[in-house]
Amino acid sequence: MVKIIRIVLQVIILYLFSLIGSWIVQSLSLQFPGSIIGLFLLFSCLYFKIIPVDLIKDGAGFLLSFLALFFIPATIGIMNYPEFLSWAGLGMVVSIVISTIITIIITGIFCEYVEGKSIKKEQIE
Amino acid sequence: MIAIMMVMGTIVLFYVMSIVYKRFTYPLLIPIFSTTVLIVIILLISKIPYDTYMSGGKWINELLGPAVVSMAYPLYIHREKIYNYKVPILLSVLIALFSGLISITILSKLLSFDEHVLLSLLPKSITSPVAIPISEAIGGIPTLTAVFVIFAGLVGAILGPTIFRVFRIDNAISRGISMGSASHGIGVSKLGEYGEETLTMGSVSMTLSAILGSFVCPLFTLLI
Repeated sequence: MVKIIRIVLQVIILYLFSLIGSWIVQSLSLQFPGSIIGLFLLFSCLYFKIIPVDLIKDGAGFLLSFLALFFIPATIGIMNYPEFLSWAGLGMVVSIVISTIITIIITGIFCEYVEGKSIKKEQIE
Repeated sequence: MIAIMMVMGTIVLFYVMSIVYKRFTYPLLIPIFSTTVLIVIILLISKIPYDTYMSGGKWINELLGPAVVSMAYPLYIHREKIYNYKVPILLSVLIALFSGLISITILSKLLSFDEHVLLSLLPKSITSPVAIPISEAIGGIPTLTAVFVIFAGLVGAILGPTIFRVFRIDNAISRGISMGSASHGIGVSKLGEYGEETLTMGSVSMTLSAILGSFVCPLFTLLI
C-alpha cells in the first residue's frame, strides 16, 4: 500500500515536469514536444542533484514498464481512417518495412565501423 | 460510466495480451499490436465511435507526457556508459535518423503519397509518445504516425535478428543502437535476448533518437 501511494505521488511529480515542459513550449510558441523539455528538466535536476533519484525512481520505473499501454488510445484512432486498409495503405506499410530495414543496416554497419576504430585506438594508446 | 469502462477494458485487455505474449513470444502478438487490433474490432462491431472511446482513452493518453519525462531516469542511470561511448552513439543515432528520413521521403515520392502522409511517416522510427507530438508539430496526422511507428517497431522486432546475421552486426553496441534508433521500444524489447548491454544501448539510443528527432524532424521538413 505504501508502495502504491509512493508510485502515485512520484507519477504526479513526473506529470508536473511534463506540464512545465508543455507550458514552456506553449508560452514560447515552439513546435516541439513539451514532454522532451520535461525530460531535459528532470535530467538536469537529477544531474545537478537538485532532486534525489529516489524521489522519482519508482514512479519512472512504473511508467516505463507500462509505456506501451499509454499509446494504445492514440493508435486506436486508426479506426477513423478506413482508407488505410487499401492499396495505398499497403504501399505505406511496404515503404515503412523497406525504410526500417535500410536504417538498421546502415546504422549497424556504420556503428560496427566506428566502434572497431575506437577499440583499435584504445589498444594503440 | 462509459469512460471508466473504456479505461478498465483497455487495461485488462492489455494485461491479458501481455500474458499471452509472454507465453508464445511471437512478434505479431506484441501487446501494443494485438490489444489495438482487438479494441478496434470490438469498437467497430459494437458501433462505438472513436470519440466515445476517447472519453476514457484520453485519461490513459494523458500519461504519455510523464512517461516521456521518465526516460530521463535510465539516461541518468547509464550516464557514464553514454559518456564513454558518446561519439559512436551520437553519430550512429544521427545516421539512423537521416537514413530513415531520407529513405522514407524517397519512397513516398516514388509512390506519390499525399503530403500529410509523408509528414506522418517522417517520425516513424521514434518512440510513439514523442513521435505523436512531433507529427502534430510538423503538420502530420498524429494517429497515422502512431500506427506507422508500430509497424516500424514490428519490422525491427521480426527482421532485426536476420539483418544482424546477414550483415554481421555482431557488436552489442551496434545491435543496440541500430535497433533502438530504427525500431524504438518494440525493437528494443526484442534485444533482451542478446543480453543486458545490448538492451541498455537499445533503450539509451531510443531515448536519444527521440530527443534528437524532435529537433531534426522539424528541420528536415524545411528541406522537402
